[in-house]
Amino acid sequence: MLNLDPEERKQLQLERLQSTLNRAFRNVPFHRNRLQEKGLEPSCIGSIGDLVQLPFMERKHLGEHYPYGLFAVPLRDIVRIHSAPGTTSNPTVSGYTRQDLLFWRKMAAGTLEASGVTSQDILQITLDFGLANWGRDYKDSAEIIGAGVIPSTTLSLDKQLMVLRDYKTSVLITTPSMASELADHMLKAKVNPAELNLTTLILVGEHVDSTFRELLEEQLNVKTWLHYGLSEVPGPAIAFECSEHAGLHVNEEHFLAEIIDPQSGRETEAGQAGELVLTTLTTRAFPLIRFRTGDRARFIRGICPCGRSLSRIEWLGRRTDDMLNIRGVKVHQQQILFQVKKALGFVPNDYRISKKQQGLKQLLEVRIAVDDTLFSDEIKALESVVKRVGSILRENLGVPVIIRLKEKHLFERK
Amino acid sequence: MLQIKNLKCYYGRIMAIKGASLSVRQGELVSLIGANGAGKSTLLQAVCGLLEHWEGEINFQGSGLHSLDSSQIVKNGISLVPEGRMIFPPLSVMDNLKLGAYTMYRRKMHTKVKQDLEMVLDLFPVLRERIHQAAGTLSGGEQQMLAIARALMARPKLLLLDEPSMGLAPLLVEKILATLVKLRKNGITILLVEQNAQAALKIADRGYVLETGSVVLQGAAEYLLNDDEVKRAYLGKDYKEFYEGRA
Repeated sequence: MLNLDPEERKQLQLERLQSTLNRAFRNVPFHRNRLQEKGLEPSCIGSIGDLVQLPFMERKHLGEHYPYGLFAVPLRDIVRIHSAPGTTSNPTVSGYTRQDLLFWRKMAAGTLEASGVTSQDILQITLDFGLANWGRDYKDSAEIIGAGVIPSTTLSLDKQLMVLRDYKTSVLITTPSMASELADHMLKAKVNPAELNLTTLILVGEHVDSTFRELLEEQLNVKTWLHYGLSEVPGPAIAFECSEHAGLHVNEEHFLAEIIDPQSGRETEAGQAGELVLTTLTTRAFPLIRFRTGDRARFIRGICPCGRSLSRIEWLGRRTDDMLNIRGVKVHQQQILFQVKKALGFVPNDYRISKKQQGLKQLLEVRIAVDDTLFSDEIKALESVVKRVGSILRENLGVPVIIRLKEKHLFERK
Repeated sequence: MLQIKNLKCYYGRIMAIKGASLSVRQGELVSLIGANGAGKSTLLQAVCGLLEHWEGEINFQGSGLHSLDSSQIVKNGISLVPEGRMIFPPLSVMDNLKLGAYTMYRRKMHTKVKQDLEMVLDLFPVLRERIHQAAGTLSGGEQQMLAIARALMARPKLLLLDEPSMGLAPLLVEKILATLVKLRKNGITILLVEQNAQAALKIADRGYVLETGSVVLQGAAEYLLNDDEVKRAYLGKDYKEFYEGRA
């Protein structure tokens, strides 16, 4: 990973930002039109500071331009196509060129190295289906380092634990929710963490507070590292922790980070909390320009004792939008409702969508009021409704789902 | 060593360079590639102080070049090998070379000029053979060598070359480019402007792709050489529409 002096990095970022804008302006009508609406063209952006003149990109735009509307290269150059649940009826489709994949791999490999991963490690990846793309990226980058990789597959907790113990896993990449389930399962199965080879736990996909983190470290007898990424427009390793564990370093050769006030859209005062906004600097197929992540963060001042000059952020809990983060997978209320409508043929009059903690397991819970349109005196018919809605949601969102039919009077009026 | 920030160059009201940023680090060989009319030569002229109207920042070794004229820029250590060689045909090879050391003579550095002369003649032995011949009687390849040798006589830290391969047979192009690699090894930093993208990227550390006055791509030369878009642009196989070649 480059450790350029700040002046040199600024120059590199400006060069990359300008060519990203030039390519996006030429090849993507969405970007061109939005710049022109503001009376701008790429040549107006003469410094990193000028970035604030550009309009924000939001999640809804990703769905609106389904499937390929935001691609900045001809389809012939795309070597991987990935989709994720979006915020509208359409999923988010993103693509990578060969070069994009190469950059991602190298970048993610750098972040793994910062967590102390070497070719001596056996690295196990345990991620839900909704984060499958991250699983692939981590697998590829760990292979670059030369670590022995156990790629992510859907296994029961029992099997996960068996692999963890018998295959002598030393590094585990997973979400905080999954790590906590695994820790609990170990306790039940009477497996002593000290018997395992596990030393490093890389937590991804969800914000984690320090108390929970310390608990995990104690329960699993490991050191933890936190990574930040975006799941829809793939990139698991946008920001990462170093051995100092003093905030997350942003991979600034590839991303520009801003923190804005989610209401006014203006940059926050230095060090103040706000919404994290990202601009890609090297991505060829799917450039993001001032993309509002919905994640809350703040910049950490000062140079990190590790010596990296990359700026640092603190990833804060809660989101600035109404998305739910279920085991690292971000699901949007609109998208959930759309899938419910698809299953039922109509939008239920009364419903509640929430994140549910069942024991240690996080689930998406959808409660639907049984009114005249849904009512049936046959239990079987009602069961089939639950099954249908559940399976459509699971298939489209890639998270565990629980559907409950409730009597109408239990719902307050919306 | 050289940092260009948001350079805008104008010919009258036409913006020929539309906010380009690029940098050359000490000891690097950087290639700037692009089609005819992309603005490559204009950019070099701005760096050398040969262009009247430009905006932005050009910094060489930490200080700005905006207020300097071309002779001061040469004195600071930047030499240009211009497009079409621009040697003085009636003058001898020797006189052409001595003219390259003009700023050195003015600083009374005669001994150094003598040493440099030996150095460039060692680099291009054919020029030694033709030292008293009129430059206009040299072949195209020899004239190009003379143009490079003349630029070296000013003891540049940064050598700029504008299309040195133009009009030369492939074998000669190879020879000229091999010389650049040698110069780089001797510690001279090089910014090479070329239409011959393949050849220029093969010898470079990094590259920039200029398209109608804007940089659209940059990176390690190896990365650009394997890039689909660069390959298409220079092999003339651009896709007309998004789905072409698939589906």
